[in-house]
Amino acid sequence: MTRKLALITVLSVLAICLFSRARAQDETEIRHVLFDTIVGAAEPTAIGVDDMVYVGTEYITRNDTTLMQYVTRIVQRDLDFYADFELIPIDSFFIRLYEIVELDLFGWERLGASYVVKLEAEFPGRMMRVRWKLFDTLRKNQIARGTVDRPRDEWRQLGHEIANDIVRQLIGDPGIFLTKIAYVKKIGKAKELFIADYDGANEEQITSNGSINISPAFSPDGESLYYCSYVDGDPHLYRVDIRTKKTKKIASYPGLVGAPAISPDGNKIACVLTKDGNSEIYVLDLNGKIIKRLTNHWSIDTSPTWSPDGRMIAFASDRSGAPQIYLMDSDGLNVRRLTYETGYNDSPIWAQRGDRITFVSRTRSGRFDLASIDTSGTMYRLMTELGQNENPHFAPDGKHIVFASTRLGPQEIFTMDVTGRNQRRLTNDGGCSNPVWGPLPPDVPGRPRSSR
Amino acid sequence: MKKLLLLGLIAVFVISYIGCGSPPPPPEPPPVIDTTPPPDTTPPPPPPPPPPPPPELKESQLQTVYFDFDKSNLRSDAKSALDVNYDLLMEFPNAIVKIEGHCDERGTVEYNLSLGAKRAKAAMDYLISRGIPANRLSTISYGKERPVDPGHNEAAWQKNRRCEFRIISQ
Repeated sequence: MTRKLALITVLSVLAICLFSRARAQDETEIRHVLFDTIVGAAEPTAIGVDDMVYVGTEYITRNDTTLMQYVTRIVQRDLDFYADFELIPIDSFFIRLYEIVELDLFGWERLGASYVVKLEAEFPGRMMRVRWKLFDTLRKNQIARGTVDRPRDEWRQLGHEIANDIVRQLIGDPGIFLTKIAYVKKIGKAKELFIADYDGANEEQITSNGSINISPAFSPDGESLYYCSYVDGDPHLYRVDIRTKKTKKIASYPGLVGAPAISPDGNKIACVLTKDGNSEIYVLDLNGKIIKRLTNHWSIDTSPTWSPDGRMIAFASDRSGAPQIYLMDSDGLNVRRLTYETGYNDSPIWAQRGDRITFVSRTRSGRFDLASIDTSGTMYRLMTELGQNENPHFAPDGKHIVFASTRLGPQEIFTMDVTGRNQRRLTNDGGCSNPVWGPLPPDVPGRPRSSR
Repeated sequence: MKKLLLLGLIAVFVISYIGCGSPPPPPEPPPVIDTTPPPDTTPPPPPPPPPPPPPELKESQLQTVYFDFDKSNLRSDAKSALDVNYDLLMEFPNAIVKIEGHCDERGTVEYNLSLGAKRAKAAMDYLISRGIPANRLSTISYGKERPVDPGHNEAAWQKNRRCEFRIISQ
């Protein structure tokens, strides 16, 4: 009887393995098609994150036990967000089979994990200390480790910091888990700027002037936001310090000053002025003084976005009759049309890597979807297919996108990876729009950042 | 010299005080004049004075101008609405107005901001071409930030693709 049961179990496990392998092959193909040009390795790395264990000597409270579970969950969710990783869920059938801790690497290997993260917690004073160890399950050895100390109430940041370290270690990417996202939220009749962690936690209101505040853009140091506000009547350009909430008027010209985009070197602002009677793209210095007018056309020119090297600007223009994406050199010369795919393409954003531009495309169904295209004008791909989607913006790793969508009814902020998968909702209040992803936070002193 | 001035002032005071103090005007000739042209001059002047203060241009009198999706050209109904506004602006030559350009919710914030500006400009240019001085007109774009109808259908969108007229002063 028990033999029969064992046989059935083994057979079903085998069947599942075969089936999942077939599915994995499909997925691999999709990955090859979708982002071979963006992420070198098309095959995701399978990784497991084991439950955190307490290694201190004192008795700990239930709160601390809960904290350990939360931090583990943060690390798992963070790594899962990376298309480079495939998170292997903990399966006690295989892992708990091995009583000796070192041997459970065999279990993880059998589950398909190439790497395992093990987390050990201590609670010295008011701090939480987590030691992380990264194991190679094939070679059964430890390949990296580190320790992160944070006050208990910064447990989210603690988890994000560990995930950043592991991403740095395995892929060479800096890790975006401590970045911020800014967006606009409707409060009554007003629209105010908000900021939150990359996963939507720790939301904080930045402006509270009761007016319309839109189009936020992070300064490259991440310490302030440039934005367009109606606080003095006409829509003009302002800057707010994220920490002190102090605002300053940067530029006011007759008509509109909007759609700011800060150059990669942080010294210039590309934005739209209508002082000539129609929307034109200008480059201003950080004090709002005009450096140069870039476009000169009777049609709408708007939504400038800089190339990562700062030498080109993509923008939306309806000079063909409906909005399409155009490229020009950052001095305004050499304008050429990039998109021809649908009758309506708008809101371009240049990826930090991979020579691709993501934008909003109005498809035949009349829906607004996110799409991307090579800067050579080839490989047009749709990335969403639910609700109205707009205002895409890239994370500093160039592998993740934040956008606004009405897929669940009210307009909310979502994030996803460049494959269009791993979609997550950040907000839950409705009336959220205009998201932008902030830059990497400055390096913590004494913590070397590995590079690719 | 100063004393003289003071004296003069006092005199003026006293005279005016006496003047006020004696409301029944003894040397008043109006009754005499009144008797000669009573129904002729007095009734016509009163009607004109009352109208000048009340005739004020009301925002509700000014027509809202509507547009097609992603367009800023003026349809025939838009032109007739602007013609109504033109007549009103000619009738009230002191009125200074601001034209607000609005869009429906489709498309992105930044593009709609520019589109609203273009619509307001189109309406303003039409009025200028018909002879309204440019210094009486100005524009602002609200893009898709201030819809009149929060709905998500064509009926709502059509109401939101508009130019509204706001009176700044008159």
